[in-house]
Amino acid sequence: MPKVLDIKEPYPPGDFAIWIIVYVELVTFGLLFVGYAFSRRANLQMFNDSQLLLNKNIGFINTLILITSSFFIIKAVQKIKNMTQHTSYKSSIVASQWLLLAILFGILFLLLKLSEFSHIFAQGITLSTNTFFMFYLLLTMFHFMHVSLGVIILFNLYQKTKVQGYTPQEHRGLETGAIYWHLVDLLWIVLFPLVYIIR
Amino acid sequence: MNLKAETIWSILAVLSVFAYALGHFKLISTFLVAILLISTFLKGQLISDYFMGLKETRLRYRLIPTLWLILILSMIAVAYYLPSLKTL
Repeated sequence: MPKVLDIKEPYPPGDFAIWIIVYVELVTFGLLFVGYAFSRRANLQMFNDSQLLLNKNIGFINTLILITSSFFIIKAVQKIKNMTQHTSYKSSIVASQWLLLAILFGILFLLLKLSEFSHIFAQGITLSTNTFFMFYLLLTMFHFMHVSLGVIILFNLYQKTKVQGYTPQEHRGLETGAIYWHLVDLLWIVLFPLVYIIR
Repeated sequence: MNLKAETIWSILAVLSVFAYALGHFKLISTFLVAILLISTFLKGQLISDYFMGLKETRLRYRLIPTLWLILILSMIAVAYYLPSLKTL
C-alpha cells in the first residue's frame, strides 16, 4: 500500500522562539480571562454596572482596526513570498506600503485606547476602584503594551522590507514579526466580547 | 479548503459586527452568549489557521491555539452558565 505523503510543513512559520512567546502569552492572558469570568460570576451586578461605563463603539472600532492591520500584514508577507527576481524592487516597495498601513492602524488603535483610558481616568477610576476595573485596566493596559511593542516591531520590518531585506527564500524575520502581531489580534478577539459585550 | 485573506478578513469583520450589535442593541441573552462564544472560537481559529499560518503545519502545532481557545471559552461559558452560588 503506498504511503500517504505528509505535505504539511514540519515547523510553524517564523522563528521557533516566537512560538514559545506566543504560548506563554496565551497562558498568561488565558488566566486573566478566566479570572475575569469567575470574578464576574461572584460580583454580577457590580460587573454589569461598571461595564456600562465602557465605550463599546471604541472597542468595536479597535477590533476592526486590529483585524484589518493583520490583513495588511498578510498581504505584505504574501507579496514577499511571491516575488520574483524581476519584481524584487517593486514587490518590496508594495510590501513595505502594506506594512506602513498596518503600522498606521496600530497607532490608531493606540490613540483610541488612550482616549478611552483618559475618559476612564477622568472619572476618577483606578485599578483599586473595584474588581471589574482592576481586571479591565490590567487586561487592556497589558494588551496596550503588546500593541505598542508590535508597532515598534512592524516599524523595523517596514524599514528592512523597504530596502529589499527579504526574499522569497529568506523572510523568517518578517514572518516572526507577523506572528507576534497576529497574537495581539487573537488576544483582542477574546478580550472584546468578554469585557465589552457579555453581561 | 484554502481561503483568501480577503475572505478571512470579511468573515472576521462580519462576526465582529455581530458581536458589537449584540452589545449595542442590548440583545445579549443567555442563548446568544453561547452563539457569541462560538463565533469568538471561529474568529480565533481563522486567525490561528490562516493569519498565523498554522493550517499548513503539523497538527501538533495547530492544536495548541485551538485547545487554548476551547479551554478558555469553555471556562468563560462555565462561569457564565453555572447557577450562582446564592441560588443553590
